[in-house]
Amino acid sequence: MGTVTPLRTKEEPLYPGVAEAPRYSCALGGAYMATLATFGAVPILHSGAGCGMAQNFGQNFAAGLNDAGPQGNTSTPCSCLVEEHAVFGGEDKLRALIKSTIELVRGDLFAVISGCVPALIGDDVAAVVKEFRKDVPIIHVNTAGFLGNSYKGYEQFLEAVIDQLLEPLPAVRRQVNLLGIVPFQHVFWKGDLQAIKTLLEKIGLKVNMIFTENNGLEALRSIPAAELNLVFSPWSGVGVARKLEEKFGTPYAVIPSVPVGPKDTTAFLRFLARRLRLRRSSVEKVIAAEEHRAYRFSEYMAAISTMALPNAYTAIVADAGTAIGLTRYGSNELGWLPEIVIITDNPPEEFHAEIVRRLTEGLESAVKPEVYFEIDSHKIRLLLREHTVQLILASSLEKHIAVDELNAMQVSVAFPVYDRLIVDRTYAGYRGGLALMEDVAYKYGGPL
Amino acid sequence: MIDLKAQTCPNREQRAGAINAYYGKASDLVKEAREGTLTNKERDFQQSSGCVLNFYLTTRVVTIRDAVMIVHAPVGCSSTSLLYREVYRRIPLSEGRPADFDLHWLTTNLDEKDVVYGGADKLRFAIKEAEERYSPKAIFILASCTSGIIGEDIDGVVAEVQNEVNATIVPVHCEGIRSRIIQTAYDAFWHGILKHLVKKDIPKQPDLVNIASMLSYTWQDRLEITRLLNRIGLRPNFIPEFATVEQFEILGAAAVTAPICPTYTDYLSRGLEQEFGVPYFMYPSPVGIDHTDEWLRTIARYTGKEKEVEVLIREEREKWVPKMEVIQNEFAKIKPNGEKVEILGSLGQGRLLTQVPYFEEIGVKSPAAIIQDFDNLVLDEVQGIIDQVGDFDVLVNTFQAAELAHITRKYDPDVALTCPFQGSAYKREKGATRIHALRGDARQWSAQAGYKGAIAYGNFLLQSVKNKAFQKTMLAKTPDTYQDWWYKQPDPLHYLKKEA
Repeated sequence: MGTVTPLRTKEEPLYPGVAEAPRYSCALGGAYMATLATFGAVPILHSGAGCGMAQNFGQNFAAGLNDAGPQGNTSTPCSCLVEEHAVFGGEDKLRALIKSTIELVRGDLFAVISGCVPALIGDDVAAVVKEFRKDVPIIHVNTAGFLGNSYKGYEQFLEAVIDQLLEPLPAVRRQVNLLGIVPFQHVFWKGDLQAIKTLLEKIGLKVNMIFTENNGLEALRSIPAAELNLVFSPWSGVGVARKLEEKFGTPYAVIPSVPVGPKDTTAFLRFLARRLRLRRSSVEKVIAAEEHRAYRFSEYMAAISTMALPNAYTAIVADAGTAIGLTRYGSNELGWLPEIVIITDNPPEEFHAEIVRRLTEGLESAVKPEVYFEIDSHKIRLLLREHTVQLILASSLEKHIAVDELNAMQVSVAFPVYDRLIVDRTYAGYRGGLALMEDVAYKYGGPL
Repeated sequence: MIDLKAQTCPNREQRAGAINAYYGKASDLVKEAREGTLTNKERDFQQSSGCVLNFYLTTRVVTIRDAVMIVHAPVGCSSTSLLYREVYRRIPLSEGRPADFDLHWLTTNLDEKDVVYGGADKLRFAIKEAEERYSPKAIFILASCTSGIIGEDIDGVVAEVQNEVNATIVPVHCEGIRSRIIQTAYDAFWHGILKHLVKKDIPKQPDLVNIASMLSYTWQDRLEITRLLNRIGLRPNFIPEFATVEQFEILGAAAVTAPICPTYTDYLSRGLEQEFGVPYFMYPSPVGIDHTDEWLRTIARYTGKEKEVEVLIREEREKWVPKMEVIQNEFAKIKPNGEKVEILGSLGQGRLLTQVPYFEEIGVKSPAAIIQDFDNLVLDEVQGIIDQVGDFDVLVNTFQAAELAHITRKYDPDVALTCPFQGSAYKREKGATRIHALRGDARQWSAQAGYKGAIAYGNFLLQSVKNKAFQKTMLAKTPDTYQDWWYKQPDPLHYLKKEA
């Protein structure tokens, strides 16, 4: 075939859900990945046999060639439901599975995640899970693939934690939780969490990353002790923060993206200083030292930046948070021209205006991006073809299209990423912008 | 007997008495299967291992070049296929990858409303959208647990829409819950192919050899097989991966269907013989020098190339046998007292039939075999292996990581062959390496098939005994997934329910 009909994107498709390669998995996938990101938590899938294994290529491997961790994929306990369970029910199978998992698998917290099959046949999963509450910490994430996408599943996991595990705690001054960075969907999740934690510790905060904290159960249980919840996405995790406010009275702040580079990072720290009433002079001291180093180091990349991509027209195809962070850094620090931004994480309508505002206001560039919300990879391809750009920061789905059809450089920075290993990489914070430039210049570099 | 009037194939359980839980002697396994006393058992502890849809039918079907795959399911059932735009793209054009290369798939993204009111309208829309966008020659519709449980009439939709689109629509009944045996997926796919795509009454192509390739065979394997067949005036027709729809249409015109993995191809091979008169054989596969000889000879018998093939084999052996001897000598020197190096591996039934004899050829031995599932389609062949190498222990399990970790410790082989689907089994004091590469890996290093592959794979295995730092470090520095008692009791199938 080799070609794609150059159709203009239809204005209102009949069934917007029918799409080529939407960039996420299902709600079960999201809840499952969030469990695996909680160290010491053991997921127990009550589902068909493929639901865990399928997330190998479809979630963790798609997030920068990652393993899912010691309880992931084929190591995940699963009830492996087949037709006879659909007829006679899967509760007995689940009961035996939970019992054996507790015996066999090392873990501090067990999370039963129910999928499409039990939801459709009406298994009373909650009742089975309840039988084990006296023995071990255990929660039930009552989801199903057809209930939504990975982002929904991430929220459902945390909601189950809030409802079934958490108890009120007195708020600890200067303690914050990091929310909104969705494990694996946000491909730099591990590095970002750690970079933000390290940064905030420098200004005297106690930071609970939740995911990748050494003791996951303890991290979850200390969520209600925060003075403030920080959501690093314009939309994802906001529902969780609202729920925590309702239940424990913890206020929250929505930071529209993980801050990339010194300018946004400094603005973020100053915001926190005000919000948490920190000593201004000590925060400014941290800012001055970090900025000095970041900009002194920027001198080392000035030449390659000017040679490789001076005032480059850029396209960004990413989840909303990643897109906002990279658009702002490119536009406000590197001198790039953000031509088009395509948001791929399907945020609910109510957040669209705010996302567009974040992507188009406060930019130094004379060029403001056209912003699209699109999940269909075919339509994304057609949209990109309507623009002339030199750099595409996107998923690896755009890798070959960029070269073959758009004559542009491409770096994979958003889900799915199958062309680079991302373990501890991050573009967050003062040094994040330099890391981004390292990756971009790798695509360009060579004898000049 | 294959019934193409039926909507789909029978499950492997019904068709071939397939099981996926057994631990014991290979000879007993064969005996029980012959006597019909082999029964499958439930496990009280089980791990996610792939379903009929997702091991990994989606990622295979999506590679068909001028087709569109529609997965009629919630959005997660097809997320494995997100790799579709890259899967073969790293193969350089200089290695023969066609430049004309664009793959497409759609999900119907079944949601809460659809499970109540049905998703037929969405499916109809997706089919038309596929036609309008991509003008494909074929549209594959893959069913899911959800489409099955809500009783979606996929065939009804197909019958209704078929005359409105140019593409041939191929429904594949691969509902995840339909079978415990993931090989049912292959049969369900081939059923769709045989029923809807293979053309009747087209001229025979006496030089065409059908070969169904697994995703565990790499680009170099294709090149090697092509090279060998070309030398005796034959052409391979590799399906399904990376094939065009036309390559399916002409399956019935071929001279013979040859195996790479016999139980993968079985349903197709039988169907092509029954419906189109294309003969087939099941054994051996072209892995190892001796088996490659035999594989080529068997093909030659069906294509009248008996003379040519003997010349080919003689020339190839002259070139490759000395290299094999170097490998044999190196393996022989590794352990003192002339003991053989022990390697534990294998995956599907097909790999059991190829790997155990290959290990013999390079002068190593297997303390046991691990296979995903077992059925009665290859009993004579397994008996043949037992006759050749002696009886051995077999663990039948579909990617049960805890059982694999257990058996790897229990036999403690010099080298454990693992893959990303075997969990923590790689963490150990001794050798560990990958069991095979994947289809998009174009490196010579990763070859396994034919003469070239026999040498490449032998050298590859030799590398694995020369440094154990990675797996040893991981063993020492990371906690085990399972409690200590697991390894202290003797039975990898500890959690098998005693009754059927």
